[in-house]
Amino acid sequence: MQTILLVGSPNSGKSTIFNLLSGGQRKVSNYSGITVDASTGALRSNKLEGEAPIQIVDLPGIYNLHPSTLDEGVTVDSLIGSNSRFSEYHQVAVVLDIQRLETSLALAIQLKELVGEKLLVLVNKVDEQEFFNEEHRVKLEKALGSKVLSLSALNEDQVELDKFIRKNIEGERLKVKGKILATKRSLEYFGKGSEEAVEVVDSEKVVLENIKHYQEKARQILGTVYNQSDRIRSQKTHKIDKVLIHPLWGTLIFCAIFYLLFYSIYALAAPAMDFVDGSFGLLADTVAAYLPEGHLKSLIVDGIIAGVGGVIIFLPQIMILFFLLSILEQSGYISRAAFLTDRVMGFFGLNGKAFLPYLSGFACSIPAIMSARTIPNKKERMATILTIPMITCSARLPVYILLVGTFVPSYTVAGIFNTQALSFFFLYFLGTFFALLTAKLFRLSFYRGQTSSFFIDLPHYQRPRLKTALKQMWRKAQTFLKKAGTIILGLSIIIWCLSTFPTLDAEKTVGLSDEVVASRSLENSALGRIGKSFEPVLKPIGMDWKMGVGVLVAFGARELFVSTLGTIYALGDVDEESKSLRERLKAEISPITGKPVFSLAVAWSLLIFFVFSLQCTATWAIIKKETGSWKYPIYAFLYMGALGYSGAYAAYQMLI
Amino acid sequence: MMPNLLDVKIGQKVRITKIADKNQTTLKLFSLGILVGDEIEITSKALFGCPLAIKHGEGNFFALRKDHAALIEVETIA
Repeated sequence: MQTILLVGSPNSGKSTIFNLLSGGQRKVSNYSGITVDASTGALRSNKLEGEAPIQIVDLPGIYNLHPSTLDEGVTVDSLIGSNSRFSEYHQVAVVLDIQRLETSLALAIQLKELVGEKLLVLVNKVDEQEFFNEEHRVKLEKALGSKVLSLSALNEDQVELDKFIRKNIEGERLKVKGKILATKRSLEYFGKGSEEAVEVVDSEKVVLENIKHYQEKARQILGTVYNQSDRIRSQKTHKIDKVLIHPLWGTLIFCAIFYLLFYSIYALAAPAMDFVDGSFGLLADTVAAYLPEGHLKSLIVDGIIAGVGGVIIFLPQIMILFFLLSILEQSGYISRAAFLTDRVMGFFGLNGKAFLPYLSGFACSIPAIMSARTIPNKKERMATILTIPMITCSARLPVYILLVGTFVPSYTVAGIFNTQALSFFFLYFLGTFFALLTAKLFRLSFYRGQTSSFFIDLPHYQRPRLKTALKQMWRKAQTFLKKAGTIILGLSIIIWCLSTFPTLDAEKTVGLSDEVVASRSLENSALGRIGKSFEPVLKPIGMDWKMGVGVLVAFGARELFVSTLGTIYALGDVDEESKSLRERLKAEISPITGKPVFSLAVAWSLLIFFVFSLQCTATWAIIKKETGSWKYPIYAFLYMGALGYSGAYAAYQMLI
Repeated sequence: MMPNLLDVKIGQKVRITKIADKNQTTLKLFSLGILVGDEIEITSKALFGCPLAIKHGEGNFFALRKDHAALIEVETIA
């Protein structure tokens, strides 16, 4: 197996090329720092007859061979052969960003000295700068002494690219020439086993001069490649930026964009949601009509359909969220958003670069915590990692929508704002605000230190591709459905068993109404007993044991709250007609007070609890992995749990 | 004293005359290909004047904070 490494400056399109060649599903966007780890994939063309097997490795972006962050370290380590996952490779392909040809070229020249004739050059994004023609390509090839291919990865020039790589890959294992200069301070970014290939220098000046040297050389070469009339087109970006990063208009547009994002998740999904909801209702009725009374019917209708269906109705929201995020990401707007919010981040003691991990936290904490690797300063990185989980991730979406949609009355305030959309926005705001506030506290205490530098590339704007957005949306939908079909299905069955058995003795039910029997059986079940045992803790925050069980199960994954309630309430419901979970929640009456169990106060208590608490085992694991110790996920769990409980208490006591 | 980047108005083209020695900042500037003698232009400042958005050369756009901008000395060009 031949291995080829993809190297290039940040946002030059390495992952797009990787996906194109390998059929992989790496996340791609139009801003720097998306790829923070190495990924390997086999070329799609390996399957064709007579083709040699080749694998390709996608690596985080670098500007030069002097890493200043952990993700850059991964790439440099891989090049010098100290990445344990692939100690051997045969070829390096450097991706040049035509919009930033100078800096990309500087990297190419430095790589050329390191790997010699084993370097292939890919000039990417030629669709954006059409003046770059065959003549330029040939000149560049001559000046560099390496094979050059110009392409547009977004336009899917796959066949040509594949051919180019196959033609030029050579058998022997690559051995780097010379050593990489590194200051003592930057040694922390190198992995074990890198000592041989690294030469430690005393003065930073040496490294700086080295970088400058390659930049100047790149300019020389470019001078011979470009004619006087060749100019990078950048007016479009310049013009759009006049509005989008304008101090006043830019800020207003930023707020409008994000309000609209949340509003559309909410409003656009409603019809689709009703449709899914209706379909599951119909399914439950149909199945119920054919099955005889008994445990099997109850398991399928109340356990599986009510549990899994309760979660699947949130599929439309998930799809809309990721579709719109992808459009924003591809356009190049995200870096501008980081620019506009840097002041705020700085105020909370964070690097402006922390904006990007925080933003991906809205999708899921796991990639977000990984992308904190792009933050150079360790203390800032820790403060970022330990607060990201409070950013509202997409797993909280079902819980928010269920509770807000059911219990917050919908009307219009101030002419344009919808109360439900505002509540939604408030929940997102609350999580973000407390994440930042806690980060600030961390930066004033455990992770005290100066706020490090903020430099961010503002990429050229680019027309978002519908196909890319649809792909991302579909991928997220698949993940969500897979979760529904596996973990949620499995747990729904377990929850059903636990809340059905042990059953009540038949004698005890004589003379009682159906409703009373249903509720007594639930309380008598294993789950009911567990729930009842911690009811005292739940009382001050207004929850009953059923919600408590939902919250408990949600520690596995937050969506499970919805499926668990779905199952418990379906079992407690004696009506023949199947209802949606929302209707059941509204109709639930407390046997003690005779009033509805769910009120606005209870709903907000639950919502606030979900905003803060760290109910996700996968996040615990990634925090452990990125920080190297179980201590940190435990800290995070405890402080977020305390915040969640006291927040829920405050909300309940205020609203009751 | 030479003016630094903070003294420059939006839209004014300037040339870099000196980049003060401060390792991390200089490293990052050099890495982005920003060297003494280059032409730059401030394209925008965020609310309250920080950070600054800059256009460098033909089409490199990037942003930096005030304290880094203060390290870059410039002269105006007509």
